[in-house]
Amino acid sequence: MAAWGEQARVVEGGMEQLTNIVVSQGELEHIARLLEQLALDTSGSHVLLLDKSGQVISVYQQSGERDIVALGALLAGAFSSSRQVAEILGERDFRGILQQGVQESIYTSLIREHWLLVVAFDKQTHVGLVKVLARRTSDELEHVLDRVLLGSAAAKEQVVNVQFRSSVENTIDYLFRD
Amino acid sequence: MALINVASREIQCKIVYYGTGYCGKTTNLQYIFAHAPQPARGDLLSIATESERTLFFDFLPLDLGDVHGFRVRFHLYTVPGQVLYERTRVAVLNGADGIVYVADSSLEKLEENFQSLIELETNIRRMGRDLGNFPFVMQWNKRDLPNAIPEITLERYLNRRRVPSFPASAVTGEGVFPTLRAICKAVMACL
Repeated sequence: MAAWGEQARVVEGGMEQLTNIVVSQGELEHIARLLEQLALDTSGSHVLLLDKSGQVISVYQQSGERDIVALGALLAGAFSSSRQVAEILGERDFRGILQQGVQESIYTSLIREHWLLVVAFDKQTHVGLVKVLARRTSDELEHVLDRVLLGSAAAKEQVVNVQFRSSVENTIDYLFRD
Repeated sequence: MALINVASREIQCKIVYYGTGYCGKTTNLQYIFAHAPQPARGDLLSIATESERTLFFDFLPLDLGDVHGFRVRFHLYTVPGQVLYERTRVAVLNGADGIVYVADSSLEKLEENFQSLIELETNIRRMGRDLGNFPFVMQWNKRDLPNAIPEITLERYLNRRRVPSFPASAVTGEGVFPTLRAICKAVMACL
């Protein structure tokens, strides 16, 4: 598989393989532990790891059943939008954005141009602490990301095979019929 | 970008509906939301202005359910079509795995469609990709309009790459699901 866009390779029919990432069981458990620790240290109600397209890789939530899928799409959209603002201002990048509420705030930061780390925390926690601890967690997640990229090719071969593709096509035809 | 989560046994892909203002991108998603079978469709989320124009994006998650032990999800997005929202379109395109270009078939929109496609190609190139070898389909929408120009004309001026194209009337639903099936399959073929 192509680890990221710049390394995409051509597959059958002349199409490029999509940029994709395969997260293994072991790495996901590691990620989950890091998110949980960050949530405990910041008293965060939610800590999410997203990819920049808005897909939720992992989430830790102390309480509530929020719509995490929609939350991921909106947060990634807001971050992506802020990067366009940075470009207009001539700023190289906004590495983090803070959305401040009365009861709850959200801090989102970028990890290696590919992932977003999101912490939702209440007014009892100082934003400076969240930024410092998020930075620490990001450093550790960068190492995980490196390993995920290295191991993705082999892991994907085990999942996406001819039978799988055929079954997905049949499901698409069945569910999305006229 | 497509995400394969082996641990939670999920595959997620992002599909973006692109096109000029009032071409019917949101109508496509509304039709899918209204007619896709219940377990497969999530909530339709719209960030719109007071006049119901798309301000940021519409978002509709579709869940194919269990396929060979993996839960496959497609996340559908629309971009705001108005010219002044180009930066927002770039933000929504970020990380897309497939694109549906929705073209308004009326004659007076031909030039606008042409410019919009040039903008799309430029934006995709900035992402390091090439529309020529990227999951990409076209939809000739509003075929029910009396001033709709012939499909052969649309093909000639707007589909120089000869990607799959589908006549449609998103208001009635004609062509909506064939377009969706085609882009979903194109994305899966490139996983």
